Amino acid sequence: MIIAVASSPGAGKTHWICQQIAQTNKPIGYFSPQTDSLPIDTIYLQSEYPQLKIYQTGEEAALLTEADQSLIFLEIPWYLDLSGIEPLLKTLNSHRVAIISPDANNTEFTTWADEIVSGNQITKLTTSLQIHRGVLTGEILDFDSLATFWLELTQGAYGEVVRAKGMFDLEDGQIYYGDFMPNQPELEFQPLNLPRWLDGRPVRKSGFEIVGNKLDQAEIAQTIKDCCIPESAISYYQQQVKESLATEPEVELV
Amino acid sequence: MKIAVMSCIHGNYAALDAVLVDIDQQKAEKIYCLGDLVGYGPHPNAVVEQIRSLDIPTVQGCWDEDIVEGLNACDCSYPSLLAEKRGKLAHEWTNKEVHPEVREYLAQLPHTYKEDNLCFVHGSPSSNHEYLLPEMDAFIALERVLSSDADVLFCGHTHVPYVRTLDSGQLQVKVNQPNQDEQPAISFNTPVKRIINVGSVGEPRHGRPNATYVIYDTETQGVSLREVEYDYQKTCAAILDAGLPPIFAWRLARGLEFAEKADDPTHVCER
Repeated sequence: MIIAVASSPGAGKTHWICQQIAQTNKPIGYFSPQTDSLPIDTIYLQSEYPQLKIYQTGEEAALLTEADQSLIFLEIPWYLDLSGIEPLLKTLNSHRVAIISPDANNTEFTTWADEIVSGNQITKLTTSLQIHRGVLTGEILDFDSLATFWLELTQGAYGEVVRAKGMFDLEDGQIYYGDFMPNQPELEFQPLNLPRWLDGRPVRKSGFEIVGNKLDQAEIAQTIKDCCIPESAISYYQQQVKESLATEPEVELV
Repeated sequence: MKIAVMSCIHGNYAALDAVLVDIDQQKAEKIYCLGDLVGYGPHPNAVVEQIRSLDIPTVQGCWDEDIVEGLNACDCSYPSLLAEKRGKLAHEWTNKEVHPEVREYLAQLPHTYKEDNLCFVHGSPSSNHEYLLPEMDAFIALERVLSSDADVLFCGHTHVPYVRTLDSGQLQVKVNQPNQDEQPAISFNTPVKRIINVGSVGEPRHGRPNATYVIYDTETQGVSLREVEYDYQKTCAAILDAGLPPIFAWRLARGLEFAEKADDPTHVCER
């Protein structure tokens, strides 16, 4: 079975998919079209559910052949035009779920969906939304700097933000996930369940996606740059972490 | 006698002006200043000129020292890479702006100033970079006051005001050295001591943009933490006009200052 999931930004598509995965014993697949350059949700889900099978752009045909044995979620990014993806959805004969904010009156999603699910309260903007994405692959950030930037970002220093999420490689070798929506309890940055990278610049995807209004993209980019650990200090930090890990006692849970 | 003690003006003239008006209304007879007259804010020269014209006894803050001696503090000055980049940018701007006579004035400021049983410092008697945080170990806090040879130690630097009373008690000190016979313990009594952090006039960090300072009564030992509203938008506009980073104005308007605090409160800068 293929379940296509759509919503406005921040309504809770990925969260709903997580809930569904946790409730099933079937093999699970996941595909999010046009997110290959910065697959934040994909990597988050994969770290939570290592058994998850990920499909890339170009593997759409496999979705159809494997849908009999698996439960496959097709997460549609909010910025994709629903009519543009309609041919693929028709081919896949998917069940359509729309996650809708409680007080939203979004006829586009209600007429499109087979099933409506109540989602997060989201901020209404009268102007059109901007999206600012930044790929940070290879960069290592200083945690305290990132925390300062994130606080400023989510409190409106760089424009009105209705959604922000990102994955950041930090100096302890772990990759951290950050997630923000107005009116929702703020989540601490949490390390993803992925191996530490302690040998030079990480060769794995990281970056951020910010949705909002009047975003000062140049200032965001400069501030993020100022959070990055310089080349000359990377090996020093990594050596410190390696030594610290080597002296940590191994704890076995009984 | 009522005295007013203020600190950390950071080139914010509008805030200083409002605090001086409030001090006048409180009928304080004397004013003391704990340094950091310059740095981050857009009016370093005007602030120094005002302090000088009023002949306010003032000690040197870490930012004042950096303008005189150059930026060579160790890593303790900045909690993050971002804070370091912003701090250096603010230092370079201020360094270009200050007039020669302002630099000369900052250079001759003492690190500590003492009057009767009161001692005035920027950070601590050990260093104007050291943070006396309210949760600091009581023994270390007491040692800092004792080293000043005063009963009340006024400090700033953290930008968050507080009053800490260190109750009277008996201290026993014993030093053991290797290869030496056990040394006798020395006991002595300490009277009540106090640390009074006066907050920040120009760059508060308590979540509101208002300036803070302290009124102290030398006869009753009463402390009044004052919080003064001022036209912070005026300072924000001046920050933008001066070409300083807009984020400075944004943070000032929210009482967030620039997160310049040490990770280890007992660390003493090794410059």
